[in-house]
Amino acid sequence: MPPLHHEKPSYNPGPEGLEPLEAVEAVALPSHPRGTVHASLRLNINGRSVRLRGLRREPTGAWRLLAILGPGLIAASAGNDAGGIATYSSAGATYGYQLVWVMVLITVSLAVVQEMCARLGAATGRGLLDLIRERFGIGWALFAVGVVLVANGGLVISEFVGIAAAGELLGVNRLVAVPLAAAALWYLVIYGSYGWVERVFLLMTLVFFAYPVAAFMAHPNVGELAHGAFVPTLRRDHDFLLVFVGLLGTTITPYMQLFQQSSVVEKGVARRHYGPERLDAWAGSVFSNIMSICMIVATAATLHAAGHTQVDSAADAARALEPVVGPAARTLFGVGLLGAALLAGAVLPLATAYAVSEAFGAPKGVHLDFRRARLFFGLFTALIVVGAGLALVPGLPVIPLLVVMQVLNGALLPIILLFILLLVNDRRVVGELKNTRLCNAIAWTTFVTVTLSVGVMLLDQAFGLFGRKLF
Amino acid sequence: MVMLSILRRFVLADERGVSAPVIDFVLGPLDGDHPVVTGLRFRHPADRRERTLPWERLASIDWPARRFRTADLEDALPVPSEGESTEAREPGVPEVLLRRDILDALVLDLQNRRATRANDLELHLEEDGRSLRLVGVDFSVIAVLRRLSRGWIGRRLVRSKIHDWKYIEFLRGDPEAVRAGAVYHRRITRLPAGEIARLVDALPYLHAAELLTLLPNPLAADTLEAMSSQRQLQVFEELSKDQGCALLALMAPDLAADLIGQLHTEDARTQLDCLGPDRAAPIVELLRYPENTVGSMMTNDVLSVPVALTVGQARDALHERLAGPDFISFIYVVDDEAGRQLRGVVTLRKLITADDTTPIEEIMNPYVVTLHALDHSRAAAHRVLNSHLVALPVVGREGKLLGAVTIDGAVALVAPTRWSSQGFRVFS
Repeated sequence: MPPLHHEKPSYNPGPEGLEPLEAVEAVALPSHPRGTVHASLRLNINGRSVRLRGLRREPTGAWRLLAILGPGLIAASAGNDAGGIATYSSAGATYGYQLVWVMVLITVSLAVVQEMCARLGAATGRGLLDLIRERFGIGWALFAVGVVLVANGGLVISEFVGIAAAGELLGVNRLVAVPLAAAALWYLVIYGSYGWVERVFLLMTLVFFAYPVAAFMAHPNVGELAHGAFVPTLRRDHDFLLVFVGLLGTTITPYMQLFQQSSVVEKGVARRHYGPERLDAWAGSVFSNIMSICMIVATAATLHAAGHTQVDSAADAARALEPVVGPAARTLFGVGLLGAALLAGAVLPLATAYAVSEAFGAPKGVHLDFRRARLFFGLFTALIVVGAGLALVPGLPVIPLLVVMQVLNGALLPIILLFILLLVNDRRVVGELKNTRLCNAIAWTTFVTVTLSVGVMLLDQAFGLFGRKLF
Repeated sequence: MVMLSILRRFVLADERGVSAPVIDFVLGPLDGDHPVVTGLRFRHPADRRERTLPWERLASIDWPARRFRTADLEDALPVPSEGESTEAREPGVPEVLLRRDILDALVLDLQNRRATRANDLELHLEEDGRSLRLVGVDFSVIAVLRRLSRGWIGRRLVRSKIHDWKYIEFLRGDPEAVRAGAVYHRRITRLPAGEIARLVDALPYLHAAELLTLLPNPLAADTLEAMSSQRQLQVFEELSKDQGCALLALMAPDLAADLIGQLHTEDARTQLDCLGPDRAAPIVELLRYPENTVGSMMTNDVLSVPVALTVGQARDALHERLAGPDFISFIYVVDDEAGRQLRGVVTLRKLITADDTTPIEEIMNPYVVTLHALDHSRAAAHRVLNSHLVALPVVGREGKLLGAVTIDGAVALVAPTRWSSQGFRVFS
């Protein structure tokens, strides 16, 4: 809390008929004021030097960065969900450090894509589906809404399965952990203001620090890690390519873009103040991918080195790590998984509710109440209830379900990326905040790579249906 | 009657046999209840450039063949490149196209007081066939199905689902358009400010700023007062400096102070300088009180009369001043205008009904519950609510009248954040 002003003012004119300045000095406050009394700011107005309350003072230093962090960090961290942790752990366990370079490159792509969405949100005050509906018509908007509903709905189930697994790793019964988590997330979004929800989400991202600790405890080989990070390795085998595509698809997912743009809009970032906000998108992408790399490193240094290369889920990785690193690794992975699944378990239904409301022009926003945004909160509630309910069904085929959802999200990703690129290059939409050439070069390269990868993945799935392999 | 979803599948053909699909319809000025279509937009098959055929050059409409017929496609005017304007009436204002700009856009349905998407548009061809008018909007799901099924579903119109364009306000999403002279329907100006503010909260901020720019200043100021504080700031920053200044001057000093308190320091200084010393003084005075004190939530625009006057003299003295403040239910009685020591309070009802010759002192209530300017604001808000009065006066240390905390200020402070997402106003 900033200190109260105790010194006497140097100038005391006081307009005719109003209280002289001494009366409003903080020294004259009642002895026990409740709440915070903020210090005021001196300003020269119409030739008078006066001390005024509440004028917005730009935060400086580390506070400035913390004040900016928000949608970008949350959206990118939500990408490291239960499925993501499984993919990264599996990549590390199977191929060691060989795929770290992919993560380094994807960081740049993710940052550019997320920043474009944030920019679109600030420049237009509209969500992505809102713009898609207006610029590309109802057909594409409905297609996106349909895929988002099914794919995100499925992913919500997998997040609650992740919460159940994390609960069991930490010794909590799934019948307690899942309903409790669902109720807490529901209560937070329904009754919290946007500011509160954002703060809680930001706090949730702190649990990702469990992974650097786990990576550090695994004593990685720094030389091999540096080699893996900066010297690209490509192998011409089926599984390697699928893991490569999986990493790409897990790191850049449509719900991250939808949430990024819609929450920038709800946060109220205007085009005039967009400049510093891009730091949020970049910082979020870098942070989340460093955490992903830590997951790869933790499993590469232990499971891969020990020859344990088969990891199917995040909980699997945690259990496998225990004999190699010790019980702390199991707890760390458990805590990390719980935080990640909780964050994604809230972000996914929110991104879906934003997208559907935007497409149909219905009122939306965490700051509203159920009465004023029935579709938004109704959909959010339905996704949480169905997701948590199905996650408790015993014997649910989680891994095949995840594969189907990833295929659907993969099919949507190139389309969403193309729309983002077309919108962010349209001066009628974004005005002066149009893409730069460098940004376009990176974004189009990302688009082509993602499209090729998704094509390969879809072909592989199609071949798989007939019992054949693509390579 | 024909829907745009059907009409957009028509082809434009000339007598030489050259044809091109119609890609859009250019709309004329939007100030009437049912604006007319002034041209057909198509891509010329020869050079692939977009052109506009003026509606007058249309020879006939062949409904069964779904064709617009004209003498020669070459009569069409090329569409100027971006930035230029084709409308001599609206220099610098981009024209409005039915499909590109209105279909699927967020429009304001004034009858139902909501912002919603135009799923389809209804057009009416005049009996002489010489003009096509935009007459209605379909917000229903049937319209979506009609479009997706290319007219197979929902061909028969449900009249109750079509909303008359007369009650629709279309916004371009660009505050600059208003300043450049774009034409609007402006039927929204007939709504009360609170309802406009509620609609504004449902719009993207650029649409909201555009809407505020096209309202007359007094209504815009009232609307700004009733908006949620975050939206208020976003919209205010998109207004021109002059309009911002004009609106601040029209706002109640306490609400203007709250808004200025949210601005960046430099913007706040500019706005206060622009207001001039007389308008800025009460705002600056309120801004001098620390946050969370009664002074920071009170209004200092209250009516007061000296105790020595009679009722008739007080009425004369107040006659001019009654037009200014929002809060006029209580008139505070002070010893004199210089000292402003609070002596009592008179309701407006008593002042109007009492005899002219009665001294004010006789009809005033001298037992006044007061708040101190440096009391904590939340406790003071509860005292106002518990008092069952519409306001409590605020005094300084020596008992000098400084202002009053009104019931709307108190409710806005104690209500949960999501209740007061729109500013609660009683006295405005």
